[in-house]
Amino acid sequence: MDETVAEYIRRTVLKIPKDEMKMMLQKWGFLSEAQLQTLNFHQIKDNISQEVVQLCEENSADIKQAAVLDIIYNHIYQNKRMWSVYQMKKSGEELEYFDITDFKKKFKRRLQSALKNVTITFKEYEDNAIWIRVAWGTPHKKPNQYKPSYVVYHSQTPYVFISPSVLKSTLPLLCQALIVASNYHDIREMELRSHSLNSLKDIVFKRYSQNFQTCTPKPLQGGNVEPENDIRIVDENRSEKERIHRLNQEVFGSGPQPILEFAQYRLETMFKSDPKMEVLDKKEPFRCLVKFSSPHLLESLKSLAPAGMADAPLSPLLTCIPHKARNYFKIREKKGLYPESFVSP
Amino acid sequence: MAEGRAPRAGADGKKFERRRRAAAAMAEEAPEGGAVRTLPSLRRLSRALPFGRSHGRLIVPALCSQEKADPQKTAFVLRKAWTLYSVTPLYGFRRARLRDYARLLGAFIAAEKQKGLAVEVGVELDIKVALSSLADIRGSELDQAALLVQLSSRSRSSSRNSEDKPVWLGWFCSVFGDELSESVPEHFTCLPLFLSHGAESYTALVGSWFQKTFDCCFRRLAISPLNLSWMVAMWAGCKLDRAASAVELVFSVPRLAQPLDISYAIHPEDAKALWDTVQKTPGEITHEEVDVFMDCLYAHFHRHFKIHLSAAKLVKISTAIASAHCDGIVKILHSQYLPGVLMLLTELAISQIQ
Repeated sequence: MDETVAEYIRRTVLKIPKDEMKMMLQKWGFLSEAQLQTLNFHQIKDNISQEVVQLCEENSADIKQAAVLDIIYNHIYQNKRMWSVYQMKKSGEELEYFDITDFKKKFKRRLQSALKNVTITFKEYEDNAIWIRVAWGTPHKKPNQYKPSYVVYHSQTPYVFISPSVLKSTLPLLCQALIVASNYHDIREMELRSHSLNSLKDIVFKRYSQNFQTCTPKPLQGGNVEPENDIRIVDENRSEKERIHRLNQEVFGSGPQPILEFAQYRLETMFKSDPKMEVLDKKEPFRCLVKFSSPHLLESLKSLAPAGMADAPLSPLLTCIPHKARNYFKIREKKGLYPESFVSP
Repeated sequence: MAEGRAPRAGADGKKFERRRRAAAAMAEEAPEGGAVRTLPSLRRLSRALPFGRSHGRLIVPALCSQEKADPQKTAFVLRKAWTLYSVTPLYGFRRARLRDYARLLGAFIAAEKQKGLAVEVGVELDIKVALSSLADIRGSELDQAALLVQLSSRSRSSSRNSEDKPVWLGWFCSVFGDELSESVPEHFTCLPLFLSHGAESYTALVGSWFQKTFDCCFRRLAISPLNLSWMVAMWAGCKLDRAASAVELVFSVPRLAQPLDISYAIHPEDAKALWDTVQKTPGEITHEEVDVFMDCLYAHFHRHFKIHLSAAKLVKISTAIASAHCDGIVKILHSQYLPGVLMLLTELAISQIQ
């Protein structure tokens, strides 16, 4: 067995938490059940990884099998990577039968004609997702297994989820191979990124709860604890709370939000100030870059108005994220009739 | 080491007064302009008007002043993240004894490391201590020269021709800290601001030796959101020749289902253009002007996102001059404005001590 393959398997095994090693090796299916029985999982990870490498040696593993183990690991720990959504376009409306063998063949041929040294590995999952791992080399160098690109493609949809390699120059090649293999004509980045691959899928496949304008106003849950010294104030508070709750339900829906960690806005809009303040009366746009970040952005945005930190309804710039399926925006002043609204190109 | 992050109630009033006094002291040094003439009345005014009332003013010649320090000697200060502490006056400190102090501090660190060896396996380092004066870092005549403490390591195994590797830096300074220096009795040395860069364990060791030896007290120096807004307004307005980095304000929004951070970065030219229209008298900053500047930025943000930034907590600001975090971590980026930045920090340190 190649030295680099052995080292790659060892390092991949080391990444796996100890109590998941057996499960992942079983999923891999490269080692027989009998071989797995001989492994002692009650020792330090370093020793386990050495034993795994030894067994792989017996089965003379090559880089293809090692790459499959890497895909299995990344499929389970997909939230460790940053994913970006791409949309492909056809010129006509023709529907074609999708043939996975044909797809793989074309994808490989395209990449290998451009670059001899690549490792290309496919793995199909039950939800119609094809995982593709590409490790990149150069004409004179073997592929670097530690800096691969990962692609998740759902056939029958125009969407591709890419976790790109740190080797930036490989991205155009990858995109080319994807459109050629899937018979599309064009591919573009949707400006939608997250660590949560499933949330990205929820957004572009419209799988998240979207009961806009359909829900009936419901009183807030949880008992009211305000002292009833002035019934009118309590009533006003309650109706305001109900209004905020209703508006929130309308724009965010009642279900859990897809997980995004950030949203970014490049603002090039006019600075409008109170004329009494006599500040900055410029005809040029005021240039800003605003970034929102949170472990769960949409849930935190949803809780802004109820916490009194924002107006209800919240700005459409923020609430449009799921239906526009993007979290990177460039905002310019809308020309014409509506001076208070903005557009994003 | 004592950790005191919560600012005392009512400290801002004193802080502001001090800022103006420090600024006024700086004005004495700057011969040009009318600042010198306004000085006496300003001092009177500052005593009469606590912070929060109107008409408070600050003269900021420091930020426009000539380069005083030799940039070569102070270059080590730039572009490093410094953790801030306030230090009460040192008792019995003598500048002539720096060599002895270095030896004693070295012995102290070695002894503490020995003690720690029982648990900390594999420490094979000799720590070399150097203490030196930085005559370039000071403001007024009353200020003591800054004091630099450098720790470097020498590996025991490969000591043949290996150079000492710097592992930790710390320095004490006072830039226009006159208010404190004027008020302490003899035998006390005022260097109220301490900045450290490197492992916290070394900061703790050095700090405890100084506390023990000079009967002083170190406390972490937090920066309030109010002071951060002063800093961002002041520094956004500074003239810079080269292409400057953005003026960035970072807010954290409390009490949400999930934590939310908002970074609001403004093109430096646009931020300066805004500040220039807000600030009515060049060289002076008033409380109202800082408020107007921040309110304008909040209003612009609200127009787009409907979020009230004024209700969020300002946790960090960065400009081409410097960046500052509310936890008391600063990075100084521009040598020309070094005295101005240190003056502000000295003042914050003094207000924490008093």
